This record gives sequence, structure tokens and C-alpha cells, in this order.
Amino acid sequence: MLFFTVIPLASAAQDNQKVITVGLSADFPPYEFHKKIDGTDQIVGSDVEIAKRIAADMGATLQIQDIPFDSLLPALNSGRIDMIISGMTPTEERRQNVDFSESYYISRQVIMTRVEDKDKYTSVDSLQGASIGVQKGSIQEGIAKDIKDAKLTSVDRIADIVLSLESGRVDAAVMEGPVAEGQVANHDDLAITSATIPDSDTEMAIAVKKGNAELLGHINGTLAKLKQGDQVKKFVQDATALNSGEQQKSNNIFTIFWDYRQYYMKGIQYTLLLSAAGVLFGFLIGLVVSLFRLSNVGILRWIAVTYTEILRGTPMLVQLLIIHYGIAQTFHIEFSVLESGIITLSINSSAYLAEIFRAGIQGVDRGQMEAARSLGMSHGMTMRSIIIPQAVKSVLPAIGNEFVVIIKESSIVSFIGVADLMFQAQAVRSITYSALNPLLIAAAIYFIMTFVLSKLLGMLERRWSVSDKR
Amino acid sequence: MINVKGLKKSFGKNEVLTGIDVEIAQGEVVVVIGPSGSGKSTFLRCLNLLEQPTAGEIYFEDELITQRKYDIDNARKKMGMVFQHFNLFPHKTILQNLTLAPIKVKKTNPAEAEKIAMELLHTVGLEDKRDTYPNQLSGGQKQRIAIARALAMQPHVMLFDEPTSALDPEMVGEVLEVMQKLAHEGMTMVIVTHEMGFAREVGDRIIFMDGGQIVEQGPPEQVFGAPTHPRTQDFLSKVL
Repeated sequence: MLFFTVIPLASAAQDNQKVITVGLSADFPPYEFHKKIDGTDQIVGSDVEIAKRIAADMGATLQIQDIPFDSLLPALNSGRIDMIISGMTPTEERRQNVDFSESYYISRQVIMTRVEDKDKYTSVDSLQGASIGVQKGSIQEGIAKDIKDAKLTSVDRIADIVLSLESGRVDAAVMEGPVAEGQVANHDDLAITSATIPDSDTEMAIAVKKGNAELLGHINGTLAKLKQGDQVKKFVQDATALNSGEQQKSNNIFTIFWDYRQYYMKGIQYTLLLSAAGVLFGFLIGLVVSLFRLSNVGILRWIAVTYTEILRGTPMLVQLLIIHYGIAQTFHIEFSVLESGIITLSINSSAYLAEIFRAGIQGVDRGQMEAARSLGMSHGMTMRSIIIPQAVKSVLPAIGNEFVVIIKESSIVSFIGVADLMFQAQAVRSITYSALNPLLIAAAIYFIMTFVLSKLLGMLERRWSVSDKR
Repeated sequence: MINVKGLKKSFGKNEVLTGIDVEIAQGEVVVVIGPSGSGKSTFLRCLNLLEQPTAGEIYFEDELITQRKYDIDNARKKMGMVFQHFNLFPHKTILQNLTLAPIKVKKTNPAEAEKIAMELLHTVGLEDKRDTYPNQLSGGQKQRIAIARALAMQPHVMLFDEPTSALDPEMVGEVLEVMQKLAHEGMTMVIVTHEMGFAREVGDRIIFMDGGQIVEQGPPEQVFGAPTHPRTQDFLSKVL
């Protein structure tokens, strides 16, 4: 299952050169964000500049992995990335899990709200009882929790906070100053209030795996050099300028689709690849599991029942994270994000397909087995040439249906950073500052894929059934 | 050729065969008759171990096939069986239905298997159906193919389990005709049937079963003409 290597965003590693992998949540301008430069998608920002300097000082090649913010720590601890530079604040809690560098930047926190509410929330006290949007697992979430009676809405992405504000689901958001400025510059209906949050200045530092003193030494060395001459501040200013420099001309849904069609095309390819591989391997594994399930050997039946019940009784997202992070951490087997995605989709669909096959095999008339056995064919021979071909044929519509289901469910692999359609939609959201339209485009594409596939399967089914009238 | 001693078969607490002793000779045509639930189909299905006997011994060509480690596939190669519901393989063509087992089990080379199959299709009068699928055939045609399929293994004995019971009345004749031809060629046959006229005509011996045992047996003229047991008399008075 190892035909594919890691994902685009990372620059290719040379054989004999050291590679250092940085993890970041690239929806956080000006620190890290996606940007289309010369027609290709790149991750840029002040943190990326810092990462480049560190890599250069170490003589290593830099790889970047875009990972949701609250998955960064598990990614670091499981050894998938070497360091986190993602505007991360070294809290006590985090210090228990990872080691932090010297701080490289201090940010202040602001309150962002809708323009018409700008004068309503002029102090932290005025937020009492208000509903507040924050990014899940962020330092802002901690700050917002301390506000009396505040109702918190924690979401994955900055774009989701913007959407919540615009749709009135939350009244205000706690955000980093430069991040909020970037959003306000792109959304006329949003504003930053004059409220100041006491004791909210937060440091940013680089996280490494606990005990990785060597890397930490390199990092602190580079940071010390950057501090002379206030380089980091300049990075942030440059990145802010880069971010607001070439704004989206229009947030019209068709314009977005046309401008970012390459993102979506690439996403469609990954989604189809994942779904096809998931169904193919799921088919093979599911067939074996269903045969175990129908076996006369008690232990095989037990294995099959346990396998299907556990896989069907737990969320696929949990399975995905366990396979991607848990297995890497426990057994030191590192699957690429794509491999983890395919493995998860395969075993998950295999559990459902196994049940479909079981029904299909049991649905084959008993007389078929008796007739074949009466001719002297062995049990295995009968299963292979008589029972399974008929069972598979009878469950083909259900298998096709599973393919349609998996196209939709594969969207969860964006959680670990597989560049599928959902992932690309999120990237487009953070580039364009358009919170909703990129998602609508993704929805339309998912719909077209599943609709067309259903129709094709329906045609195929009718053609097959012609030779099968009874 | 087949020797059955003290054969018993229970399904759970229900004893279907209560002890059967019978010997079937080479070339003999034995017809088993009896009321529904008398155990005649179960008896037939025990002969090639489609049902595992609860007790008793079955010898086939002097081999004890009921012994524990016996490879039953070995005996089944030489025992053809025809079922009430045909059980043709719907995903295979007629020709493939006939050649599959010879090629897979007997390792006959495909050309040879096809030659035998075509001869058999000729015998049952369905050569033109070689490339069609079972679902395009009538019931009578299906059963003739099923007989040909069993014969393709060149068996030493043929077992028929109510071969005409699932057929429309107008199709019964064509199947019986094929069976009759087979009997005349000297094939050893054990036939479970409700066709009394046919039984009388082709049977060398009639076995009347009731309540899981053989009640009466003998040549057709004796069993049909002068049954000695009251249960035989009662049964025959209802069906004739």
C-alpha cells in the first residue's frame, strides 16, 4: 500500500541532505497562510520565514506540513514533524508535553466583531454574557473562557469564526491582533473594537519534541540572530503587506471557482484516488472478513465479528487519528498522510463491505453449494467458482453505493492534511477570506461526483441484469 | 455397488431415518416411493453424504465412505446427482455448466471436456443451447441439462431426487424420457419420485418407505400389483 509518497505542499527532499519538517496551521495570516504565487499554491507568512532561516542555518531542506492547529501537538509527539512554528504560545499545559524555544514574538489579543457592534463591546466586561468565537485549542480560547458568563464557540478554522460572526451565531471573537487586521481588511462588515484585554499579551515560541535539545539549540541560535535588528517584526510586516497586497478582486462564487480551479482539480484527484483505493482494498479485505465470518472455525468467526463490530461502532475520524498518530507513536511505523487516509478508508469500508458480502453469500441458494459438492468439487473450489461470483454480482449495487458513501466520507482525511477536496476548499477559504463560497463549490463538486457515479452505476446495473432475468 | 447398513439420521430430536439396510447392485434401477416426510429424500442425500448420517455405514464400491477421514469428494466424483430444483449455475453458460467440474475436479483437458459435453447435449437434445445461460431455458430443459451436467463426470451411479416434482406437467415427459434412455443404457440409478407409472416401467426394484424405514420392497409387479403391507396398500390406493 506504499505506492504514494507525501503530499504536494512539501518541497522534495534530496537524498543525502538533512530534512527538517515544520508543522503549522496555515490559516493564520500574517503568520502562516496559503497564497497563490505565480499560479501555484504556497504557504507563506512570517513563521515560514523563520522556519526557512532555521533550516538554512542548519543546512537542512525545509518541509512544510499544513495541519489543523489542535492536531499539531500529536503530530509533533508522534514524530511526524520536527517542530511547530504556528504562532503557538508556550502555556504551562503545553510545556508538559513539548519543549519550547525562547519566544520570538509577542502578540496582543483583540476583540473582533460586526461593524454595527463595534461600539457595543468596548471593554472585556461588556462581553459578559455574549457568545464568543475562538479557534479550538488556541490561547484565545483560554482567554475567552475567563470572561464571565461568556458562551464559547470553539471552531477549527479562522474562516469558521468569520462565518459565525457574519451569520450572527457569535457576537464577538477573540483573535490575535495581526490576524484580526487581516480579516477586517478583507471583510467590510467586520471591525476591531477598542477593547483591550488585560494580561493578554502572548508570547510565541517554537515547539520541539520533549528532550530534543540539539534542535532546540539550533532554533534558539537562529532566533537570537533574528532578534538583533528586529527581524521578526519585519517578517510580520512584510507578511501583512503580502497578505493584503493582492486582494481577491471579487468574492463571486464563479470567480473563486475559476481562479482556484487548480486547487479544486487537485482536490478532486485526491478524493477520487482515496475513494477508489478505499473501495478496492475494502473490497478485498471485506471479502476475507466475510469468509472468516462464515467459517466453521470459531476463532476466525470471533475475529471477524470483533473486527466488524469495532470498526462499525467507532467514528472514522477516531480511527483515522489513531492510525495516523497513534500507530506512529506506539509502533514507530510512519505512514504518509495519504497512506493513513487510504488505510483508514479501506478498513472502515471493509467492515461494511464484509457485512454486505455476508448477506450476499448467504443469499446464494443452498442448492448451488449442494450441486457443486455433488459433482465432487471441494468446499473451497465451490466458494471460489460458484458461490462468491454469484454473491459479488448480487451485491454490486451495494458496493457501488459504498463507493458513493466513501466519496463523501473521505472528506475527513483533510484532518490529517491529505490534500483532498475538503482540504483544498479550506485552503481557498483562508486565501480568499471568503468563508462560505469555497465550501459551496466543494459541496457542488461532491454532489456532481456522487450523482454522476450513482447514475453510471445504475446504468451498469441495468446492463448486467439483462443477462440475468429469471 | 452401494451397501447401506443400519443407516440412521436425526435432525435434532426428530429421527428421520430409523435404520435402513439396503444393497444396490451394479446396473440396477431402484425407485424409492413413499408418502411425504417418509425420509426417502433424506435417504438419497445420505448416499453421497449431502446429509451426514447419525449412525450406520455406507459402502460405495467396497469403500466405507462414512469413515471419519474419508475424502468424500472422491466418491462424489463417481456419483451423479440430480435435484428437484435443477441447481444449474446461473452465472455459467450451459457448456460451462457441463465442463466446469470435469476440468476442475477430474483435470480433464478443456477440449476433451467440451467434446464429452457436446455429446451429452446431443443426447438430451439441447446442443443449440450450449452458449445460452440457464435462465433462458424452460424447466424441462433445465432438468435435462442438470442430468447432462451430472453425466459429464462419467459417474458410476446416478441419484435422482424428485427430478420432475418442480416441473410443469407438460415438461415431465421429456425429462423421464432422458432418464429412461439412461436406464436402458445400463446406468445404475437410485430414483426418488412420485411418478408411479414411470417407477413401474423403468424400475428393477421398488422400495416403499414410510416412517423412516423401508416397509416393503420388490419388483414393480409385486409391489404395485400385490402389495403385502397394509401401509403400502393404503399409500398406493391414494396415488394410483
